[in-house]
Parts: sequence; structure tokens; C-alpha cells
Amino acid sequence: MKNVDVRGLSCPAPVVSVKRALEEGGGELRVLLDDGAPRENVTRFAQGRGYSVQEEKTEGGFALTITGSAELKTQAHSGVAAGPTVLLIGSDRLGDGPEELGRVLMRNFIMTLLEVAEPPDRILFLNTGVLLTAAGSEVLEALEALGNRGVEVLSCGICLDFFQKKELLAAGGVTNMFTIAESLLGARSVVRL
Amino acid sequence: MVKDGDYVAIFNSIHRVMEAEKLLKGLKLAILLIPAPRALAADCGLAIRYAEEVRGEVETALSQAGLLPGELYRKSGEDYTKVEGDL
Repeated sequence: MKNVDVRGLSCPAPVVSVKRALEEGGGELRVLLDDGAPRENVTRFAQGRGYSVQEEKTEGGFALTITGSAELKTQAHSGVAAGPTVLLIGSDRLGDGPEELGRVLMRNFIMTLLEVAEPPDRILFLNTGVLLTAAGSEVLEALEALGNRGVEVLSCGICLDFFQKKELLAAGGVTNMFTIAESLLGARSVVRL
Repeated sequence: MVKDGDYVAIFNSIHRVMEAEKLLKGLKLAILLIPAPRALAADCGLAIRYAEEVRGEVETALSQAGLLPGELYRKSGEDYTKVEGDL
């Protein structure tokens, strides 16, 4: 059985770590985590994906044993259907036209992802798109909620550096062009905004 | 995006809702421009969310600017209750 220790990590990192471990396969997964939001979010995420979850109290936290999901196993072995769905956000605006309207539309789009049945597996933020993941962004609450549903949020490190936002990243993690390229080329589908 | 007890103001005009957001953000009030919840039909699809704690300040500012929303709702459990009467 594979072990994942996410104690001490704040949301949505526990869900993202568990999701990654499940995607890598290996049958049963034992997750050590803190009580409260991490325990609730990971349980909800795993059950939502068709896994069964058993929990036991441990010293200073909880251990979840996550088993079985025919849905994901089928997906992983069906060739064409494998790989994540990726949303590439290369701007803080959606569409051409007035900048103010474009920013409102992009914010509205990201918040609306919370309402769709199948959000993307991963969202990559590039260029001015990284302004959406930095402190002061209006969509941080939505990105955290998406993270708790298993959506991986990654921002381009070069872009954060360019806009002097490296220290101000407030949602998800930093990534590099290798990961971005691999994500795009290995994706089941890519939606570019 | 909307918690139990939050207010959702519907403006039915993209220009009015954007103007209202600019006004309230300028006053440093804790509001958020959100997609209008599906249950509340709105032509422009946008709404402003705020909590009880800032309700008075938000609605006073909107009133003074002539930007009161067309409709106001309060989230109660899974439902939205229309707030009737003068805002």
C-alpha cells in the first residue's frame, strides 16, 4: 500500500497530493492528514471520484485508506482517453475588446468552473494570466475551492518573476516550461483561453 | 461562492454592476463580483456578493450613487430568499 503524508499542509495541497498519488496508480492509498478541512476535502474528493474511504484516528490526526475506482482505472488504461484535461490561461482577460470587460469575463469564467460537472484536471497560468493567482486577485477564493475539488493550479515561474509577483503567489504552485510543455503534449485535451 | 447568510445583489445591467463594483471596492468594502447563481436569472449574469456585516455600508453607498440593485436575495440553506421592501 502506498503512503502519502500531507500533515501540516494547508488546503488545497492535500487534495492535490492525493489526486496525484491516485493518478500514479498502485491500488490502495493510505493518507495521513490533519483533522478539519484537509480531512473533509480529501474525503469528499475521493468519494466524488468513486473511491471508498475508511478512516481511523491516529495520534495528532487521521489516516484515510482509499481504495478502488473502476472509473479511473478504465480511464488510465484506455490509451486515448488517458491524460489530464488542461486549461491554459495565457491572459488575465477573456476575449478581445475592452480590457475592463475582458477582465470581468475571465473572473466570471474561473468562478463558473465551480459550477460545471467536470472541471479541468489542471489549470496553467501564463503571461498576464499569473496576475490571477497572485495576491489581490479576485479569483483566489474560487481557485482554492477548485483546488479542493482536485484541480491542480500552476503558474509560470518566469511570468511571476517578470511581473515581480514571485513572493505574492497566493493560489497553487509554481511551474516551469518543462512541466508546461509536458502537460500540454500529454493532455487528453487542452482548452486555451 | 455564496455562503449561508450572504446577500446577492442583481443589477440586470453589466454597466451598473461594474460601476457598483468599482464604487464599493473604492470604499474598501468586502464585496465580490460573482457569476449570478443559476437559480437567480439575470440578463448580464453577474451579481455582487456581500455579508451581513457590511450590508448597511454597501447599500448606503449604492443608494447615494443611484446604483441600488434591481433585486436582492439572501442565501438561506440551499435556497435564495428575496429581500423585499426598500433597500
